Amino acid sequence: MTHLHIPDGILPLRIWLPGLALALLVLVVSAWLTHRETRPKLAFQSSIGALMLAAMAIELPLGPLEYHLSLLGPVGVLLGPAAAFQVVFVVSAMLALVGHGGLTVVGWNALVLGAGAGIARPIARALSARFDPAVSMAAATACAQALSGALWVAVMLGGLRLVSRGRWLHDTGTPVLAALAAPLWAAGVVIETLVALGLGRFLQRVRPDLLPGRAPLPGKDLAR
Amino acid sequence: MNALSSMDLIATAGRTPWHRASALSKIALALLILLLAVFTPSLSLLGVLFGVAVLLALSARVPVRLLLTAMAYPVAFALLFVLARWDGTWITPARILLRPLTCCVAVIWLMGSTPYPDVFAPLSRVLPRAVGDGLFLTYRALFDLIDRSGRLWRAIRLRGGAEGSARRRLSLAGEGLGTLVLYGFERSQRFYATMQLRGHSGRICGCRHYADVTPADLLTLAAAVGVILAAVTLWGRP
Repeated sequence: MTHLHIPDGILPLRIWLPGLALALLVLVVSAWLTHRETRPKLAFQSSIGALMLAAMAIELPLGPLEYHLSLLGPVGVLLGPAAAFQVVFVVSAMLALVGHGGLTVVGWNALVLGAGAGIARPIARALSARFDPAVSMAAATACAQALSGALWVAVMLGGLRLVSRGRWLHDTGTPVLAALAAPLWAAGVVIETLVALGLGRFLQRVRPDLLPGRAPLPGKDLAR
Repeated sequence: MNALSSMDLIATAGRTPWHRASALSKIALALLILLLAVFTPSLSLLGVLFGVAVLLALSARVPVRLLLTAMAYPVAFALLFVLARWDGTWITPARILLRPLTCCVAVIWLMGSTPYPDVFAPLSRVLPRAVGDGLFLTYRALFDLIDRSGRLWRAIRLRGGAEGSARRRLSLAGEGLGTLVLYGFERSQRFYATMQLRGHSGRICGCRHYADVTPADLLTLAAAVGVILAAVTLWGRP
C-alpha cells in the first residue's frame, strides 16, 4: 500500500524529476547527518533494509486477501529518520531493479516511504515516557503507516488525474478511487500496527536496548 | 523476491557475450534505452526499442518465463493508466504499455547479464558512501534473510501460528519478525568483525572490474550505435 508500483514512462518528467531530485537532496542531507556513525551501524541498517525486502516477500493470508508487509514503522523506530531514509532509498532502488515500480519513481517511493519512517522514532521516543516501548512502537507505526499511505494515495491519484486530462477519471473518478483506496489504507494501518506491536513486545522482552529511549546493554551498543 | 534470486543466478552463471561485456558499457546501453523510451514521442521508435530490449534479454538467455513474469507486473499497473487515458484509439494504450515494458525488459537484461556488485560499484562512486555501501550490504544480507523468513513462516504455520484471529496471527508474525531483527543485528556485528579482520579500508567495494573492457564490449557498442541510429531516424515519426 505504501510502495508506488508506477512503471517507468507513465508519470511525466515534471512529476518524477522533482521527486527524484528532492529524494537525492534528502539522501545527501541524511548521509551528512549520519557520517559520524560507526560502520557496524551501517551493517545493522543494511540488515534491517534486507529484512524490509524479505518482509515484502512474505504474504500474510487475511481471508480472501494477501497482504505484503512494509515494516515502515519498526524500521523508522529502530534506525531513526536519517538512517531510515537511506534504507528506504536503497530498498526502493533494489525493488526498481527487479521491475517493482519504475526507476523514475524511485525518488517518489523513497519520499513516500521515508516520510513515514522519518516520523516513527520521534513519536516512539515521545510516547515511551508514558507507555511501554511495544505500545510506543505500535503507535509510531500507526502514524508512519497512516502518513505514508496517505501520501501513496495522493501521488497515485495525482498521477492518474494528470494523465487522464479531463476524462472520467479526472472529473468524477478521483473521489471514487479515493473511496476505494480508503479501506486499503485503513487495513494497512491496522495490519502494520499489530505486527509492530508483536515485534515491539518481542524486542522488549529480549533486547530492550534496541528500542529508543533504552540504555544499551554492556558490550552490545554497536548498533546505536 | 524469487525473481531477484533467479536473476542473480542467471547473472553470475550465464556464459553469453553479454555476460562477458563490462558492466559500465551495459549500464550505459540500458540507460540509453530507458531514457529514449521515457522521452520519445514516437510510437515506432518505442516499438523498435522494445524489440531491441527483448532481443537483448533473449540473447542473454534470460528465461522466457522470467521475462514474461517480469513484464506482467508493469502491464498490470499500466492498465490503470491506460483506462485513465482511454481515447478510443489503440495508439495511446500502445504508447502507455510499451514505455514501461521497454524499460522493464532493458533493466531485466542488465540485471540478468551483470552480477549485482558490478552494477552497484559504479553507483557507489556517485551515491553517498552510506548508500553505496548500504546497497552491497543489503544485497548480501537479503538472500540469507529471505531463506530465514521462509523457514520461520513454515515453522509458524506448522505450530499453529496461522490459526486463530487476525489479531493473534499478526501479533505472532511481528514476534517472528522480531527474531529476524535480532538475527540481523547479531549478523551485522559478526560481519563488521570480519570486515575489520580483513583490513576494511572504509569503502566496501573498491573494485574496478566493472569497467574492465573486453572484446564483448564491441557488441554493446554495436547495439548502442543501432539504438542511436533508430532514434535519429524515427524520433519525429508517429
